[in-house]
Amino acid sequence: MFFNRSRPPRVSGIALLCGVALLVVSTVGAARTLDTKYGDVEVDGTPERVVTLYEGALDAAVALGATPVAAIATRGGDGVARYMSDRVGAIDIVGTARETNIEAVVAQRPDLILASSRLTQKQYALLSKIAHTIVPANDTFASDAWQQETRLYGAALGRGEQAESLIAQYEARAAAIRARVSDDTSAKLVRWMPQGPLVMADIIFSSRVLADAGFDVDDDALVPQGRPHSDPLSLENVDRIDSDWLFLATLNADGEKALETARTSPAFTRLNVVKRDQVVPVDGQLWTSASGPIAAEAILDDIAGALGVDAPR
Amino acid sequence: MSRPPAARTHTRRRPGLWFALLTAALALVCIASLMFGAGSTGPITSLATLLHAPAGDGGWASSGEARFVIESLRGPRTIVGVLVGAALGVAGALLQAVTRNPLAEPGLLGVSAGSVLAVALALAFGESAATLRVPVAQLGALAGCMAVLAAARLRGVGNDPVRLVLAGAVLSGVLDALTYMILLVDERTADEIRFWIVGSLAGRRLTDVTALLPGLAIAAAIVVAIARPLAALALGERVATGLGHRPRLVRFMVVIAVALLVGSATAIAGLIAFVGLVAPFAARALAGPDVRRTLWLCLPAGALMVVTADIVSRLVVRPSELPIGVLTALIGAPVLVAVVRLRRLPSL
Repeated sequence: MFFNRSRPPRVSGIALLCGVALLVVSTVGAARTLDTKYGDVEVDGTPERVVTLYEGALDAAVALGATPVAAIATRGGDGVARYMSDRVGAIDIVGTARETNIEAVVAQRPDLILASSRLTQKQYALLSKIAHTIVPANDTFASDAWQQETRLYGAALGRGEQAESLIAQYEARAAAIRARVSDDTSAKLVRWMPQGPLVMADIIFSSRVLADAGFDVDDDALVPQGRPHSDPLSLENVDRIDSDWLFLATLNADGEKALETARTSPAFTRLNVVKRDQVVPVDGQLWTSASGPIAAEAILDDIAGALGVDAPR
Repeated sequence: MSRPPAARTHTRRRPGLWFALLTAALALVCIASLMFGAGSTGPITSLATLLHAPAGDGGWASSGEARFVIESLRGPRTIVGVLVGAALGVAGALLQAVTRNPLAEPGLLGVSAGSVLAVALALAFGESAATLRVPVAQLGALAGCMAVLAAARLRGVGNDPVRLVLAGAVLSGVLDALTYMILLVDERTADEIRFWIVGSLAGRRLTDVTALLPGLAIAAAIVVAIARPLAALALGERVATGLGHRPRLVRFMVVIAVALLVGSATAIAGLIAFVGLVAPFAARALAGPDVRRTLWLCLPAGALMVVTADIVSRLVVRPSELPIGVLTALIGAPVLVAVVRLRRLPSL
């Protein structure tokens, strides 16, 4: 096995958690009806050949102890994201987030397809002919989007209890870090371009994790409505990304090098957060593309490391 | 008898006066470029800072911020804009003279696309976008120029301006496709190139400019040396040969100069199309067809267009900025249509 089985829940409210899970799943392995974006889907037994068409779905499935047979490539790469690669081994790739290779999906002979909430009706019509296709009904940018998605995927995989325990673990750890972060500690997540910073929206996954860990991640309306991911900012306005902590995402593995490059810009070195040396280079694949429980824990690792807080998993 | 046509053109058109006027307009636009921006440093504060800067009394509350914005952000991009605009304008005039085609423009003919492809290749092989790749871009532009000249020599293409542009569009399409292929395979490169490819003057530093100077200086020397033979070439190859010029050598030198100019401009500012079309078009309208005069006028005309487009790019989508290539295309596309429709200059 390439993955670690999630630990059994050690939270005291185990009965309650099971109760929540039972609302969705009657009995593990038995037939269950899932409420998805495109209507109710009936799933039976334990799916054997799971194809994930969404980074968050791969993350959740692996975290829940399943072994997906195929996944899509991460944004900016030709395989799964670096933080996932040693957990999944040599998994088959069946497309990118932008474009799924339907033939490759068929060739996998899946019995369950886990897709993102952004899957269109047209794609759904096609995929649902291949296998049960699970599309989360929640708003893509809801504040608890990944938790809702993990619960749904957990139910589909017959691992609803594991889903609850993963979420509870995460929330306990986020709370532990939050207790060490003083009130009104602001943070911004950006990518640095020579022309100016690319500000990441406060509604994307990693911004939600930052918020859970106690940071104020208001993007100051720099990312306009309708541009849900990120927006470039003029160098003349970089003072608007000045904050207590600046998380600098790069698609290169070498974050320190990206930080060095940014430091050659006089507008960057003028920022107070740079003078205070509270700029944290982070992996862009994890911070700007990923989603799911493993990613959430990895981002908490980064945050704890930056703050110098001891927050064991 | 009336005066000979050349003399009449000369007295009526007054290229010297136009050069002075365009240069004065450029100076005004450069001052405006220091005054306006996407940030909170407004024109009044900027102007006050500019007027006080030489005295150095810094009595203004916000002068530290304003001085930084002007000296480190708006100043360098204005200088880059002047250089890039002048280089692209002159490159367009040269390319048009050597292909004898008023539509020959580095961006339309695939010279810039060759430059971009070369840089994309360099990035894919591990270069970083932050370090300038001037020689790489110049080599790419040189390859693009060679392809253009080869296309111009094809039967039916050389003497029809529109066909050369079509051939250039095909070449650009192929080169762009290759660039996008690299970007698809290696999205790290895509990430670094995404904002450079659409053209921008933001965030360029004066150290980047010094990297351009050798190439621009060589190009300027070449242009001064070949301006006269190039004008003779406009009278036909036989006349030029009869006057003691060597057409093949002249063409070769023009290609080198265009590659140096377009490569330098693309390396620092990305893809900026249509400047090489609009500047020579305006120059010819003001000074007549003699390439020795249009080349001079292209210097301020190209710079004027790029710096103006850059100012607009900062103001329309505050607090962000628009890619400058979008704006030059908005100005240039109607001019392209006008030139094609006029068809008064089937060949230069």
